[in-house]
Amino acid sequence: MTQPPASVPAVTFQTVTKRFGQVAAVDAVSFDIAPATLVTLLGPSGCGKTTTLRLIAGLEHATAGRILIDGQDVTHLSAADRDVSMVFQSYALFPHMTVMENTCYGLRASGLNKADAEARAADKLRLVGLTGYERRLPSELSGGQQQRVAVARAIVLEPKVLLFDEPLSNLDAKLRRRVRDEIRALQQDLRLTVAYVTHDQEEALAVSDRIIVMSHARIAQDGTPRELYEAPASRFVADFIGNANLVPVALRHADATTGEATIGPLTLRLPHRGVAPGAALLAIRPHALRFGAEGIPARIAHAAYLGSHMEYGVMLEGHDVELFAVAPDIAQPLAAGQAVRVSFDPAGLAVVSG
Amino acid sequence: MRSARTMLVAAAALLASAAMPARADVVVYCSADEKMCRGLITLFTKETGIKADMTRQSSGETYARIRAEKDNPRADVWWGGTGDPHLQAAEEGLLAEYKSPMLPKMRDWAVRQAELAKFQTVGVYMGALGYGYNSEELGRKKLAAPACWADLLKPEYKGEVQMADPNSSGTAYTMLATLVQLWGEEQAFDYLKKLHRNINDYTKSGAAPAQAAGKGETLVGVAFQHDVVMVALTGKRPLVTVSPCEGTGYEVGSMSLIKGGRNAADARKFYDWALGASAQKIMPEFGSFQVPSNSDVAVPKEAPDLSAIKLINYDFAKYGSSAERRRLLARWTNEVKGAAR
Amino acid sequence: MMPIAARGWSAAFALAVLALPWFGHEDPVVALFAGEALPLVFLAGDRLWLLPLLVLPAFAQFAVRHDRPRLLVATAAVALAWLCLEGFAINHRGWTWQWLGVIFGGKPTQPALGWGALLYALAATQLAAIGLARQGWCRGDAFVLGAILLILGAILIFVFSPVMTVLISAVRDNNGNFAPAEFWAKFTDRSIWGLECLTGAGSCGAAWNTLALAVVVGLLSTLLGLAFALVALRTGLPLKGPIRLLSLLPIITPPFVIGLALIIMFGRTGFVTTFLYQTFDIPRSRWLYGWPGVTLAQLLAFTPIAFLVLVGVLQSVAPSLEEAAGTLRAGRWRTFRTVTWPLIRPGVANAFLIGFIESMADFGNPLMLGGSFNVLSTDIFFAVVGAAQDQGRAAVLGMILLGFTMAAFTAQRLWVGRARYTTVTGKGDSGVPPPLPLGLRAACYATVLPWLLLTVVVYAIVLGGGFVETIGRDHTPTWKHFLIAFGIDHGVSGWFLSGSAWNSFITTMWLSALSMPLTAALGLITAWLLARQEFRGRGAFEFLTMMSFAIPGTVIGVSYILAFNTPPVELTGTGMILVLAFMFRNMPVGIRAGIASLSQIDKSLDEASLTLGARSWRTFRLVILPILRPAIIAAMVYSFVRAVTSVSAVIFLTTAEYQLATVYIVGRAEMSEYGVALAYSAVLIAVMVGALVLIRLLVGEQRIGRRSANTAETAPVGLAAS
Repeated sequence: MTQPPASVPAVTFQTVTKRFGQVAAVDAVSFDIAPATLVTLLGPSGCGKTTTLRLIAGLEHATAGRILIDGQDVTHLSAADRDVSMVFQSYALFPHMTVMENTCYGLRASGLNKADAEARAADKLRLVGLTGYERRLPSELSGGQQQRVAVARAIVLEPKVLLFDEPLSNLDAKLRRRVRDEIRALQQDLRLTVAYVTHDQEEALAVSDRIIVMSHARIAQDGTPRELYEAPASRFVADFIGNANLVPVALRHADATTGEATIGPLTLRLPHRGVAPGAALLAIRPHALRFGAEGIPARIAHAAYLGSHMEYGVMLEGHDVELFAVAPDIAQPLAAGQAVRVSFDPAGLAVVSG
Repeated sequence: MRSARTMLVAAAALLASAAMPARADVVVYCSADEKMCRGLITLFTKETGIKADMTRQSSGETYARIRAEKDNPRADVWWGGTGDPHLQAAEEGLLAEYKSPMLPKMRDWAVRQAELAKFQTVGVYMGALGYGYNSEELGRKKLAAPACWADLLKPEYKGEVQMADPNSSGTAYTMLATLVQLWGEEQAFDYLKKLHRNINDYTKSGAAPAQAAGKGETLVGVAFQHDVVMVALTGKRPLVTVSPCEGTGYEVGSMSLIKGGRNAADARKFYDWALGASAQKIMPEFGSFQVPSNSDVAVPKEAPDLSAIKLINYDFAKYGSSAERRRLLARWTNEVKGAAR
Repeated sequence: MMPIAARGWSAAFALAVLALPWFGHEDPVVALFAGEALPLVFLAGDRLWLLPLLVLPAFAQFAVRHDRPRLLVATAAVALAWLCLEGFAINHRGWTWQWLGVIFGGKPTQPALGWGALLYALAATQLAAIGLARQGWCRGDAFVLGAILLILGAILIFVFSPVMTVLISAVRDNNGNFAPAEFWAKFTDRSIWGLECLTGAGSCGAAWNTLALAVVVGLLSTLLGLAFALVALRTGLPLKGPIRLLSLLPIITPPFVIGLALIIMFGRTGFVTTFLYQTFDIPRSRWLYGWPGVTLAQLLAFTPIAFLVLVGVLQSVAPSLEEAAGTLRAGRWRTFRTVTWPLIRPGVANAFLIGFIESMADFGNPLMLGGSFNVLSTDIFFAVVGAAQDQGRAAVLGMILLGFTMAAFTAQRLWVGRARYTTVTGKGDSGVPPPLPLGLRAACYATVLPWLLLTVVVYAIVLGGGFVETIGRDHTPTWKHFLIAFGIDHGVSGWFLSGSAWNSFITTMWLSALSMPLTAALGLITAWLLARQEFRGRGAFEFLTMMSFAIPGTVIGVSYILAFNTPPVELTGTGMILVLAFMFRNMPVGIRAGIASLSQIDKSLDEASLTLGARSWRTFRLVILPILRPAIIAAMVYSFVRAVTSVSAVIFLTTAEYQLATVYIVGRAEMSEYGVALAYSAVLIAVMVGALVLIRLLVGEQRIGRRSANTAETAPVGLAAS
């Protein structure tokens, strides 16, 4: 976010709705994507994030509302006429074309002659580390390599907006992290505007300048990764991002910004962020649980050793929810069945309305 | 889009070449045997220098086609085939009136046909109804040779007689109408109901029973006698022609000009030529042994001897009319065809 | 901004009225060069009702230049509407409807539409598509919209309207007057619905006969096909190759030829019958003529199709499933009953329905062997050409047959289309299918081997019968029959084709060759629209394309004469009408093959191409077509083969110049010239095999191997269902 705020957003949604029959897949959604930023559309499957991406691409057309790309109204333009390109979940490489033919495809479609197109394609293939693979067919490449061809094919057009639809879902866990970082690096190097769809919150947190969390065809929250994590706007967001433990509390407003949440014998002071007083929920991050001599009496339900840290299931006295906790102390782990007292680190807490 | 257009243009050009017609001076629909039709047309072009095109279809098909094309006729002349569909077409106003200068030379049955249709059609040949039996099969069964309609009712012939379905065949309708005129309607239907027990098949086509009898697929096939002769001679089959002793009906093979045809003048030339001697005497060469309508032309020697045939006075006006035809066919279908064997 | 194509079409729109000859001519080539363009027509002070058509291109030009999509659409719509209106209102003889003459007076006439009008309509359609796309229809895709409008228009003109013309005649009497009472009488006629055969009091109606025959043939062909498939795939017998080869033969065999072979064997004087009579004194009978013969002939013709369907299904059952059942302690028989059979059941149902539909549509075999056994397809024919000359009855029978086939198609789509749990994945399955239970294996052998023998003998007759004196009696080899049909003679003016079959043979070959790429293209584009594009009214669109599946050939033939004999569209007597009949009748083959292949291609390939800036046409050409290559081959081969072998649809459309092979062969068989008929059939089969190989070579093998195996399986199924 070293970017100065641009005057014209790269993408603008103005109360866009998309219906399939009676079902709204995207319901009156509005947002902007600033140039040279990576914005993630995040949410569980069926929340409308992929439809939103396809609306930007022009693969679906909005039922109502307006879509602007770089200030130009593209609502009724076909996909081929929009200055966007997309990396598909399945990569969608043309099986009958070589790597070079695939990469050149868009350039040739826009009328570039063969030699120029190949020169530019070769440049981008070098960027993704695929020099030497130009004559191969997609079926002769590994999954990771296919993914890179798909990226090269998309960026060679230097589109106003680059779209990624779950680009990592076909890769194994180890490769996923590396490719994720490569995409982020590429985006920052080339100052690309990227809309990125994923259902993996960790991936979203890692790559995004901004995250738009979607739920039931609407935007649940729109903000930086830190905002979403530290100040979730709803129970849904708190739960979806970072596995919060949700515990019912009684909330009282102390002053304009601070509130007091009572949980068992404990009363915690923390920002109320506009949540109405009365019954509310406290989102407790797993790492915010502290075990010591003070706090609420509790019992360890189960414990697991994960090498770098411990994971515990904790039963608070008087509550029937089991809290999920991680603790870095592996030297002296707690044992299952052990009685403990639990307190909370204020940095890992947030009240949300119930 | 450029190559889309190229493709469209190419497709259009191909279609255009597909539609290339070969222009002829006169177009003839012919409802006789293929060889006969072909020979006739070739001779016409040879003798007159007028180019002619011919499409051969059965008389029923041709009539259906002329009806379908009536708003924009494609053919000029219709040559051959049983007279009934010609009369029907005349009744419907599909044909043109023409009094050929050749008419005085025609035998009287041909002229009667013309008068009946108010000169919208004319007879070109005539042939009597009868049946044929396969002598080999007869010998194998050790049966006496049949000679009359009544012989076909004998129980020995059970499953051995074949005739066409009068609903689809003009030949079989001629038989139905003949029997009605011969014996009166009640007795005729009584006969047909009894005959039904001996019938093995009602074929669709009128020519089929003679063919089947020739091959021995059936013992007896009801047909026009000249068709039986043709199968026997050209197919070299052991087939014997029978002219029933009670008397029999006949067909007048006809020719008509189609109303609204595009080549009226040349069509009339064909019409006159087809009634002339040179056209009518070639018929036996192609296995057609009917009686020609031109009185100058001799009856072919292979043709069934007309003097030995007891011809009834066939009432083409009555039995050629649509109403009577429909009534008789409906009665036959209901009382005979559907009955148990 | 309007796309570049808009300018092109707008120019074509103007060109069509300004420069091209507006009216048609008997000879299309003459029409192109000698015909008058509209301005010349007006200079002669003639036909001023065409004036609006001349003005419209100016509006279109303006709309394109100033980016007014609404105006463009309106202009195109007015152009098409006025073209239709004036075209139908005024024909070559004057006002089409009397009351128009009363209102407007005069006696205007005009000939049929020509090249100018064709381009005019085409350009108007495409401009409308561009205008609508500009307003966001069909995701703004002008190519898709243009293709939809074009195909829709073509189907309306060449399928819907002719069929309606015929069906309307169902409620008219023979003179064209409206007569609903007569319709009811015809519809409820005893010859259609009678059930006397059950009580022994006579024969049953054609509708029941057709249904009963179709059910029996459907069932038996499925059982036989299943037995063949099991033998080919699940036994050690090395019969897979020969069976596959034989299974292709009926597809390239002209219909009725099998009937012919059966007569030569089992007719009362057939050689098998004679042999049995002379050796065992078994009395000769005519059992063949009627439903037994038709059933036998249809089984010979349709069992291979069932086999192809069932082989595909059986192959798609993953052997590991059966192995799993085995490890769960199920015996062979129990495994077959509880695992294999339920998995292949939808495929079996599909095979049954295909046999059912084919049997109802069959025209050649009942014509040859039906005897007094009446079925709808032949009854329609004889209602038109027979002595009764009852077009109304033909229409009623056509309606009933159409109803039956439509119902079967709907059943196939709704019921079988969904219940499909075949287990095809990209992954290989290393399992080995278990051998068949003993009893089942014995039963399969007992059916397959005799049937195989019968098929071989039938084809030996078909292929060899034309080259001996008299098949069944005198087997001295001879070229006699072949030379009658295909003789070449040396005369005064050099070599010439003296054989009587040359004319029909050459016409057939090149009309079929011409219709082949057109049919395949039409079918595949339609398939692509149906499988890949979302648009309003797609259901109705699909129904219309399905309609041409289900219409019996005879109905098509009659309807084409009725619909295209007079202006505005006048095609009777040209080769074009035959090509069109082939195209719209065989288009479903392409649709089926295309849909089957497309369903195996990831949709995101199209989308990727679109987002890379390639428009739909480019996408279709560069991405879809190369991948569809096997489907293209299949569609081309089958449309060629079906064009060569079709009888029912074309029997009314042939003319002196355009005679077709099948019609010629039927004629020869009717006159008992079996030798010539068989020699000609053998030549046709040889040529079609040659064409099959040639097309494969021309279109080439596919570059990505994995998909081809599946599509090759699906293509014959598509063929069968049409």
